[in-house]
Amino acid sequence: MAPGLKRFTDVAGDGTPRLDDAAGEELVCVERAASVALGSRAPEPPGTLFITTRRVIWLSEAEKGRGYAVGFLDITLHAVSRDPEAYPSPCLYTQIEAEADSDEEDGDLDSEADSDSQLPKISEMRIILADAAQLDSLFDAFCHCAELNPDPTAEENEDSDLFHGEGMTNGGWIHGDEDEHMVDGIDPEFFIPNPIGQNGGDDLSSSVLEFVVDWEDLHILYDDPPLFYEI
Amino acid sequence: QLFFSYFKELVGKEVTVELKNDLAIRGTLHSVDQYLNIKLENTRVVDQDKYPHMLSVRNCFIRGSVVRYVLLPQDGVDIDILHDATRREARGG
Repeated sequence: MAPGLKRFTDVAGDGTPRLDDAAGEELVCVERAASVALGSRAPEPPGTLFITTRRVIWLSEAEKGRGYAVGFLDITLHAVSRDPEAYPSPCLYTQIEAEADSDEEDGDLDSEADSDSQLPKISEMRIILADAAQLDSLFDAFCHCAELNPDPTAEENEDSDLFHGEGMTNGGWIHGDEDEHMVDGIDPEFFIPNPIGQNGGDDLSSSVLEFVVDWEDLHILYDDPPLFYEI
Repeated sequence: QLFFSYFKELVGKEVTVELKNDLAIRGTLHSVDQYLNIKLENTRVVDQDKYPHMLSVRNCFIRGSVVRYVLLPQDGVDIDILHDATRREARGG
């Protein structure tokens, strides 16, 4: 399944979305009078938000059959935004895993007839509720459902060895400096030359110690030569 | 599991989370779960110019799978202890 936001049209007779019962998808909560704003587009007219154990579905009130859905696997970040400088109304701000190589979210899209091909490029979605006081509980619902949807690959790695000692030529510790992007241009799995102790001149007590982990594999890049340890 | 335990120790400390989309968010580590999903409080975006739409929010939830780095405060890391722990893990302990 392609990542990201999609159109949703699978609506039952009573106006609620059809869920994937076979996969155990259940409704968690419903927010009426909710509007969504995709990317930098203006908010849609109010509709109903359905939070399920798998995804977020929004159905338009005004335009039956119009709706959007995104799986929690693709919601990379969510937060309650109350800063009017960030966005005029308080809302739940979310980031969505968009299709790769999407530089613009919605480009010069025709506002009425947005083609389905544009939706996967949406990387931000804001949910505006009629009652802003509900935003905190909506935030909590999102947290809860996100936790219900861990990455399938993450589960494989859960108890596996976290570290690759072999084959690594670089140390696993970076120190230093204000320059937080020392891994620039380097494959994130292999990096940085100055393990602690080998760069005698460096002052450990300065600035931030960077501790880098490739989350996907949960490996610590760790070089384990005896001389490194037995200083 | 090492990281999960380790991050639990860091709750309350100021960290910067850099995501795979290059966004960097600074905040106080509120909690972390076994999938290394991270909740931050008092969050603010590190590079506002790159992400003008982003926000300073009270709380933020970041999916573990999208985190590239977590930058830690230097005094938040007991290097020797972590060093020993990682070596033990690497040995299959």
